[in-house]
Amino acid sequence: MKKTHIIGILVIAVAIAIIIVSISDSSTYETFTTALNHPDKEFHVVGKLDKEKEMAYNPEQDANLFSFYMTDEKGVEKKVIFNGAKPQDFEKSEQIVIIGKANGDGFAASKILMKCPSKYTNNKQGELKEFTESK
Amino acid sequence: MEPQTINYIGEHLLPGKVGNFFVFLSFVAAIVAFISYVFSSSPKADHSWKIIARSAFRIHSFSVLGIMGTLFYMLLNHYFEYQYVWEHSSKDMPSIYMLSCFWEGQEGSFLLWTIWHAVLGNILMHKSKDWEPHVMTILSVVQVFLASMLLGVFVFDYKIGSNPFMLLREHPDFSNLPFVKMPTYLQKLDGRGLNPLLRNYWMIIHPPTLFLGFASTVIPFTYAIASLWRKQYYEWIKPAIPWTIFGVMILGTGILMGGAWAYEALSFGGFWAWDPVENASLVPWLLFVGALHLMLIYQNKNEKSFLAILFTLGAFILVLYSTFLTRSGVLGSASVHAFTDLGMNGQLLIYLLSFIFLSVFLLSGDKMAKIVYASLSAICFLLAAFIGYKNIFLVSFAVISALTLLYGFAKYFYVKDEEDAIWSREFWMFIGSLVLLISTFHITFETSKPIFNKLFATNYASAQIQDYNKVESAIAVILALLIAVTQFFKYKNSSIQEIGKKLIVSFLLATGLSIAIAYLLDLFIINYFLLLITSLFCIFANADYLIRILKGNVQHAGASLAHIGFGFILLGVLISMSKQKIISQNTSAVDVGNFGKEYKNRENILMQINDTLKMGDYLVTYRGKEKEGVNFFYNIDYLTKNIDGKIEKQFTLRPIVQTNPRMGNVAEPATKHFLQKDVYTHITWAEIGEPEQETDKFDNDSSYILAINDTAIVANRYFITISNLVKEVDKKKYNLQSNDLAVGAAVTIVDADKQVYHLFPIYVIRDNYAFSIADESKELGLKLSFQKIIPEQSKIVIQALSKNVKNKEFIIMKAIVFPGINLLWSGAFIFILGCLIALRKRIKMMS
Repeated sequence: MKKTHIIGILVIAVAIAIIIVSISDSSTYETFTTALNHPDKEFHVVGKLDKEKEMAYNPEQDANLFSFYMTDEKGVEKKVIFNGAKPQDFEKSEQIVIIGKANGDGFAASKILMKCPSKYTNNKQGELKEFTESK
Repeated sequence: MEPQTINYIGEHLLPGKVGNFFVFLSFVAAIVAFISYVFSSSPKADHSWKIIARSAFRIHSFSVLGIMGTLFYMLLNHYFEYQYVWEHSSKDMPSIYMLSCFWEGQEGSFLLWTIWHAVLGNILMHKSKDWEPHVMTILSVVQVFLASMLLGVFVFDYKIGSNPFMLLREHPDFSNLPFVKMPTYLQKLDGRGLNPLLRNYWMIIHPPTLFLGFASTVIPFTYAIASLWRKQYYEWIKPAIPWTIFGVMILGTGILMGGAWAYEALSFGGFWAWDPVENASLVPWLLFVGALHLMLIYQNKNEKSFLAILFTLGAFILVLYSTFLTRSGVLGSASVHAFTDLGMNGQLLIYLLSFIFLSVFLLSGDKMAKIVYASLSAICFLLAAFIGYKNIFLVSFAVISALTLLYGFAKYFYVKDEEDAIWSREFWMFIGSLVLLISTFHITFETSKPIFNKLFATNYASAQIQDYNKVESAIAVILALLIAVTQFFKYKNSSIQEIGKKLIVSFLLATGLSIAIAYLLDLFIINYFLLLITSLFCIFANADYLIRILKGNVQHAGASLAHIGFGFILLGVLISMSKQKIISQNTSAVDVGNFGKEYKNRENILMQINDTLKMGDYLVTYRGKEKEGVNFFYNIDYLTKNIDGKIEKQFTLRPIVQTNPRMGNVAEPATKHFLQKDVYTHITWAEIGEPEQETDKFDNDSSYILAINDTAIVANRYFITISNLVKEVDKKKYNLQSNDLAVGAAVTIVDADKQVYHLFPIYVIRDNYAFSIADESKELGLKLSFQKIIPEQSKIVIQALSKNVKNKEFIIMKAIVFPGINLLWSGAFIFILGCLIALRKRIKMMS
């Protein structure tokens, strides 16, 4: 076997390895129901903030604890805990993506992506903002 | 009924007409340039074709500049009747930001890209000599595509391009709104303004640099295509090399600037977050660097190279792909700063696929393969257009293209017998290029997951930062090692013993220094340590090469310097990322992180005004905020204790919250730079607006039935106890009449700080009615009144009125110390310097 062949095979092998590792480690977009059924795995959940229910943030007690209620795309609502400061203008969010794991009957988010509507245009996409939990 | 015509007042319609004329002219001139360059490429061509082609390209370039000038003119004069001006600027903005407004929108950034292509094209026209007809044909095709992105015309129902000169009242989003029916609508109109995140000087310098970097990938691309066209698979390399070095330098600078911007002005808390948009700019660079090294190998070997062509084509196609990713809206919920969709999804995709098709078509080799490939692709497109199932046909097209590439390689480029010796420079440079390819593949694969989800109906999310770091740090280790050793190999073959001897000094130095640094910074973690030792090895070995082999000859120092710079960049990334320390956290001596995730040390901290908290080596005081225009500046003093225990102020940081009622407030960090570290401070949350005025209104009202010595808790913070009931009340003091019966309740109040206060409310019976005289403590915001006596229980009723505690103004902030970040920035400068020297040498070699 020639060197070129070995190298070629190696490159393809590494590429396949990268695909396999990436896919198997990949978090997926799921609903709360799936996330609660697999409490050990990390998921992305897309949903809307429930503005009727309580958003709790008491910086005097803990500046790194924020909780709110979110309804996922299937209409299931869960309490979400985020170990970080409350994102500015969170009330104005139109859609949120939370990344994290189920925590009891709720969800612990390590990252929040929020999409705010742009008021003055009919852009389908608003602006997207990202907030990561405290480490 | 006749459509009503409205005479609008104050509109400036001329600039729009001029602009549209230039848009149209630039498109037509690019087509003319393309056609005449095609004709001039024939060996027997009349010289006049070339003259026409050149003039057409110049007219095209002139009109592109004309579009830019017109758009600027409109922005500077606040002509909000134009949708682009209205959407991206406003009256209150300083004119320097008009540059940012210019390229904030998609149309403007396409324009910027087109301008750079036009500028580079005019240089290429004069420098490419006999390659001119071919390379300029390709560049003109690219310009036809780009110019079409600004057309904004409808062909059947399909909109081609998005025109920056569209009137606001004609824009589909607004044309139905009532306000545009008023003749005077312009009088009160102000623009929407620039996104507050983009109102800083980085937005002025970063996009032009990055787009010049993107634009510079097109020149080697045109050479690679021309080489296939002219069947000169080797000769194209020499003229393409200087352009490639230029591109590697500028695109590299643009990417680093993006990192610096994120670090200085955005709240990422770092300079790289593997955001899809950042990745989209990094990926073409990685492949372009690979292409450069392959070109160098094969120029030296005097051989044709399939991979050099493929990498070069790939770099430009990745630029197109990145454009598609960031502009089409596919990234939707994955990226923070992708552009919004302008409904040009289809057009961008066609643009991308056309260039993939062109590249593969020319690489496929013989006529038969070309015909088969072209017809199969055509079938895919037609079926997709008429039957649907676009994703299936798109995937089929990708598979057909890949197979055709393999065929072309096997048939026309595969060299059977010759192989590079293991101990040759070209062999290890080749390996390095493949490592870059793997890195490109990995990042592209992760970033493309939203695309795969669309194609295969999956729901995978892109990787998180730590996943990227894991793979890419391993790749960085290999690259650093290759960079360290490869220069010492000679072309063709060299003796491994000799190389070993030459490298041993650098290796020992790197090992020694690594152990010392790792000991000092506690970096004995396998992947950190490997990256530390290899990046130091890379720096030392290249410095050694520069001094001992090149004898410090500056003219040939380009590659060594660029590689040293790269080593420093890796070192800076390693140290600042792994040793960054969040100091705004739990200040007690106990590391609560050991108690588990629930109790970990957290990075945001609450500071009330004039609070002083210990953070790292500093005592930090929040001194209050100041308002300047739309910005709130938060003054945060960093103090230290000097030797005699006196506290001294070291510096003040002023992070900003920029208020923007339309788009939300944006926080901008402040950073103090030292030689060995940076102190970064960011406001995570703050109450915006003026503090409320004190009022006489009480917020809470509650009553308590109490006996003597009973205690009640009022408003969750005061303990009130009836210590005694006093029958002798000073009647004069309270303006009571002599026959009044008065009882006072001596109440003791203890607050949260264990401070004791006394209040004395009085209950009075006069004739046949009763009333009370309340007692109030302004300090506590508490008013007590003695309402009633219940004799049978020997208890009394106390009513407590209390005010909510007016919070002292506070902020929630984050402070991070980044050590060694200057290694990164100095690495960047050395890298750029190295590229410049290499570029100079290559340009000299050309003439």
